Amino acid sequence: MHPQGVEAFPHYYVGVNSLDDLVSKDDRICVLNITGGESRTVTPVSHVFSGGNIVCGTAPGRSGSSMKTKIGNIPVFDNLPQALAAGHEFNTVVVYLPPGGVRDGVIEAIRVVSNLKKIVILTEKVPVHDARIIRAVGQMHGVDIFGANCLGLADAHKQIRIGGALGGSHPAESLVPGSVAIYSNSGNFTTTIAVYLLTGGWGTTVSYSSGKDVYIHFGALEWTHAFHNDDRSKCAVMYIEPGGYYEHKLEFNKPVVACIVGRWKAKLTKACGHAGAIAGTGDNAEAKEDWFKEKFEVDDIFSPENPVCSAKGAVVTNIAHIPAAMTAVMALGKAEPDFAPRGDLSLKCWFSNTQGLDLPAALKPALVEALEPYNDQIAALSEQVGAVFPRQAMKDTSGASMMDPKTQVTRIHGTTVLDASTHSFEENLVQSLTREYPDANGTAMTNVMLNAFVNQAGKVGLAAADAAREAGNSPNTSLSSAVALVGPNQVANARTAAAALVELFKKSGIEDASDTRYDFSSQVAEADASLFTMGEPCALSDNIAAAFEARGANSIFVNFVKAVAEKAGAQLSAAALMAATTTHVAWKALMRKRISAITVRNIPWHFKIFSTLVGSAAAGDQQSADTFCGVANSDLLNSWSFSETAHLALLGKRPNEEELYSFSVLLGLIITNGPGTISAQGAKGAVSADGPEVPERIQINKGYIGFLTHTGYAHGGNGYEAISFLVDRFKDSGLTDPGSKDHGLDLKAMATTYAKEYLAYKIKAKAAGNIGYAKIPCTGHPVFKGEAVNYDPREAFVGKLFEERGDYNVFHEFYKELVQSLFDTGVTKNVFCVNVDAVIAVLLLKMLWQPYAEGKISDNTMESAAFTTFLFGRMIGSAAEIDDHTNRGKNMDTRTAASKCKYAG
Amino acid sequence: MQVTGMLWGSKLLKYVGFPTSEVLGPEATGEQVKDLIDRCGRVFIKPIFKGGVGKKGKLGLMGNCTNLADAMKEKERLYFAEHIQNNNVSKAEGVTFEGGVPAEYEIYFSISDSTEFRAPVITLTHHGGVDIEELPPEKIAVIPFDPLTGLKGFVISNALHKLGAPKELISPLVQNLPKLWDLYHNYGMATLEINPIRMMPGKNGRLIPVACDFKCAFDGDDPSVARLGLPDDLDTSSYSDFEQEVNQLRTYQGQSDVYVINDQGTIAAMTFGGGANALVTELLGDSANLSSDFGGNPPYEKMHDISRIVYKYWLEQSNVLFIIGGKANNTDIYETFRAMADALRDHFNKYGPTPLYVVVGRGGPNLIRGLGYLRDTLDSLGIPYQMFGYDSAMSEVVNYAQAADEWMKKGGREQIAKKLGITE
Repeated sequence: MHPQGVEAFPHYYVGVNSLDDLVSKDDRICVLNITGGESRTVTPVSHVFSGGNIVCGTAPGRSGSSMKTKIGNIPVFDNLPQALAAGHEFNTVVVYLPPGGVRDGVIEAIRVVSNLKKIVILTEKVPVHDARIIRAVGQMHGVDIFGANCLGLADAHKQIRIGGALGGSHPAESLVPGSVAIYSNSGNFTTTIAVYLLTGGWGTTVSYSSGKDVYIHFGALEWTHAFHNDDRSKCAVMYIEPGGYYEHKLEFNKPVVACIVGRWKAKLTKACGHAGAIAGTGDNAEAKEDWFKEKFEVDDIFSPENPVCSAKGAVVTNIAHIPAAMTAVMALGKAEPDFAPRGDLSLKCWFSNTQGLDLPAALKPALVEALEPYNDQIAALSEQVGAVFPRQAMKDTSGASMMDPKTQVTRIHGTTVLDASTHSFEENLVQSLTREYPDANGTAMTNVMLNAFVNQAGKVGLAAADAAREAGNSPNTSLSSAVALVGPNQVANARTAAAALVELFKKSGIEDASDTRYDFSSQVAEADASLFTMGEPCALSDNIAAAFEARGANSIFVNFVKAVAEKAGAQLSAAALMAATTTHVAWKALMRKRISAITVRNIPWHFKIFSTLVGSAAAGDQQSADTFCGVANSDLLNSWSFSETAHLALLGKRPNEEELYSFSVLLGLIITNGPGTISAQGAKGAVSADGPEVPERIQINKGYIGFLTHTGYAHGGNGYEAISFLVDRFKDSGLTDPGSKDHGLDLKAMATTYAKEYLAYKIKAKAAGNIGYAKIPCTGHPVFKGEAVNYDPREAFVGKLFEERGDYNVFHEFYKELVQSLFDTGVTKNVFCVNVDAVIAVLLLKMLWQPYAEGKISDNTMESAAFTTFLFGRMIGSAAEIDDHTNRGKNMDTRTAASKCKYAG
Repeated sequence: MQVTGMLWGSKLLKYVGFPTSEVLGPEATGEQVKDLIDRCGRVFIKPIFKGGVGKKGKLGLMGNCTNLADAMKEKERLYFAEHIQNNNVSKAEGVTFEGGVPAEYEIYFSISDSTEFRAPVITLTHHGGVDIEELPPEKIAVIPFDPLTGLKGFVISNALHKLGAPKELISPLVQNLPKLWDLYHNYGMATLEINPIRMMPGKNGRLIPVACDFKCAFDGDDPSVARLGLPDDLDTSSYSDFEQEVNQLRTYQGQSDVYVINDQGTIAAMTFGGGANALVTELLGDSANLSSDFGGNPPYEKMHDISRIVYKYWLEQSNVLFIIGGKANNTDIYETFRAMADALRDHFNKYGPTPLYVVVGRGGPNLIRGLGYLRDTLDSLGIPYQMFGYDSAMSEVVNYAQAADEWMKKGGREQIAKKLGITE
């Protein structure tokens, strides 16, 4: 039932008669799923290394595109018939399909490609069920199949590889022509053995990674026959793992070193590593050692101490012994290695840090210069400062935020928003960019710097924001007009100064920028003073410097820029102080390579935008040259935190300690909901459109405009819905202080009354067929449901925070009573949770209640304040996304492929 | 996953209409058991072992009773029985009551994939009921067949003729055994063994094959098993919590195979590649707590998840974190090392620092960037380390890791703890 192939195998089909035919210059290849994750990196290298043996590839939906390589593009088609119809001819198919698609891909290839000779399957985890069928179909049609889970074939003499990544990204380094053929159950060891052989002076002919699935279609028996027929191959290495009888009946007529590894696998009750490497008693490692010992007529395992071998071969159990065993075996046949040994296998330590521990000499290896080209790379590494993130398509992807679908809690740079909510606004702003919270000095300097630029009096941006408000725009729209005016020219000096500081200090060894004992005289001598100074006197700069002193803030970088100005006898610029501040807060993270130099250069721009956004939230008539919302600029600089300033901009007063805490928690909770949230998408889209692959061109302020335009009455403004609901419940209650337990209200009765009203409404609405009846805002959650009593863990966390402080919130208590009453009256089947949006609403309303009750602010103002609060909090998360996308993204990576777009006609 | 015994075996066999003995589970009432004895004449009480427990070592772990009182005594004896084989201890979780099947012949039958024939094979004998290894080869038929046509009656018939089986066996087995191919091939099995099938006389004296014991293993890479709707906890005993958590990450890009070698081990080896896994685990012996293969170019997220889980379970007891692999062909060293380093930093942030020595041996694309990233992370965490080039013999790097482990045991751990400001 099979065509006749090589005569030596009458009972089944084998097409390859010699290793010389295994990899041929005439082989022409089509790669299935050529654009898949693995093929994308491997195939171009194979193509170039092999002098262009890949004629085309397939990837459903990508017809018409091509894969770029250094020696020309490889065309891509939807499927094989299309590729054939386009006139491409090939005799070899390489399979990179996912496991579920491998069987059908192979059957299709055999069906439509008339001249097919070889199929190489790289895919791992192909079910045994499918391997059975693949074997039978290949046999029926006379096609040699390699794999699955193999790494392909390579010929060092011909400098060709087919299929996988043998030799890695630089195949010529490992695949050096010589006389040894390699057969290996392990893909990685195929290359590693080739590298090890070089140290014994042995090069290779053909390397074959067989894979170690249950089915090995081109197995040891067929390979050995081909090895015998290849005159170039004088000897061979076989790397064999337990399981299967493939090697049992082998007979050799040339020398072989067999490496058998995996005695310990006898303990296994299930496969670990290779699927086929699970053995019974007859085919375990020990049994296989015996098979080969018998073939080679040796009675022991070869090791350097006990070099047991014959002219037929040797058995080793450690791949490091392969070169010595090969030399010993071949010497018995009077054969010399192919060339002088290249390198050796001794321990070579490339990186070491003993952390000052008292270690024995054996654990203190000397550093060895790495072989080329790694030595140059290591040298370059010491030059590089900060992280360099690999660029990738960042659509719906973030390196800054991540929502846990189980808990619905989002993390920003690894910190949950719950934990972030216990930090201040300014600390979170810094963390969004540096991934670490600032130290006390850093926080103090941040407060000074953000407050220094918050007053927008006389600025065009504020006039624009006011005009936008006047025109009836929502807060986000109005604020974006102010942010638009914080363009690159506005921050050029500070960014240049920040970059200069990094350059000057990158090799200083400074770990803690607050440790002012560092002697920076050499940097002062080297510095270009014009980057840190200005020609005219500058009051703002002097005031900032004074404020640093007033707050006792210590920083190497502040002292440094002062010293540079002093030496030059020039006025220190505010831009230099901004750069000193932002570099201070970023320094540790930069040195630890948590953030990039790009980020450090951009932080002054972010800071300027933070100040502008908060400052422009207050109307023009609230600001003058010397005061902001009635508070003197100097007071803000010397003693206010930026959180307090934000509260002032929003509500016109400095918060007391309790109010400040609530405000910070509120802003923390709002930071982010992950990269899928609309505001993050807006920010990321804006960065993507500028082309982050040239990060200098990213307009950071436009990123914030993207965030702002992607908020609105439904996203960010909807917090007002719950506020409005609560206002309706409490407006006639006579409540004066929502923070006092002595409010005199019967919350239970209020909740029950409302629950009954709602029940009546719901029944009536349903009877009328109105399925879209009004739901009560902020109760229930699609994830936290189904228990007798339900909790949103985020609400519970915040509730506990306030409880521990003894802070009371009547609206929060009302919500808790309400969910119980809704259950008691039969509106809900169990006690719904109070969700985290309710927490945001009750915190906001508590802030706004007194001025509202006193008639000082209208419903509209309250809605606007609620919305602006959201914008302040979300600004933190957006900063993180903008910076992350700038560092990691690719040009236009947020677009959606036309094939995934839908037309709704 | 493996399934042993008739409690679930009978359910699986019913999918293809293969006759089975009557089975009651551990929840059976005295009345039900009595009823079973009344109908079948006797009842066998067998402990339920989750996962794969073979016939070997099961001697004495079965009750054979003809009255309820004895059956209940046997239930008590066997309910938590222990099975020991090759140092693997399995503890029973309940018993089954299986109705006796009167028979003259016992058949052994299995289907598996043979590496010798590279095809599915049946193994068949009418001298069943014993360990197949105990029989001489001439009493066993091992026959390969074409998976495209499947297991046909003529294959069974030829095998039985070859064995010289009694004629009355042939027709019922030819009729029933091919059904088992459907079960094997269509539901993702890798082996299926029924021993014994007892040939029970039916009406008119015609024999009916009745499955009286069952064992199968499923192919972990075959999603078809999901079609059976088996409960998740059917084979939990084979997997530790750690293994189960890692197994949840199984996707086709990137290996995530782990095996607990010694839960008291002090070297946590993150190994890349099937070959390195085999070699390193062998050389480390009992000093390793786990054997792993994380090769196959796992993306950052997956590697981060794997590392997080490995650290969570093993870091506290480990002296050495050992990251080892050959010269990678296509695994991106920067991506994988960045993920391991970030997860380590996150672990320290979450659980606090733990005394650790890090030893690395690796090669591959983006090598220096990857090593550099890990270096910077370890520097910032204050952890000692050595990283070796891929042109160092892997076995030498393993020896080095063991030397570091020894030093840690002899006071090094305390030294590092002191440096990190922790009191153990």
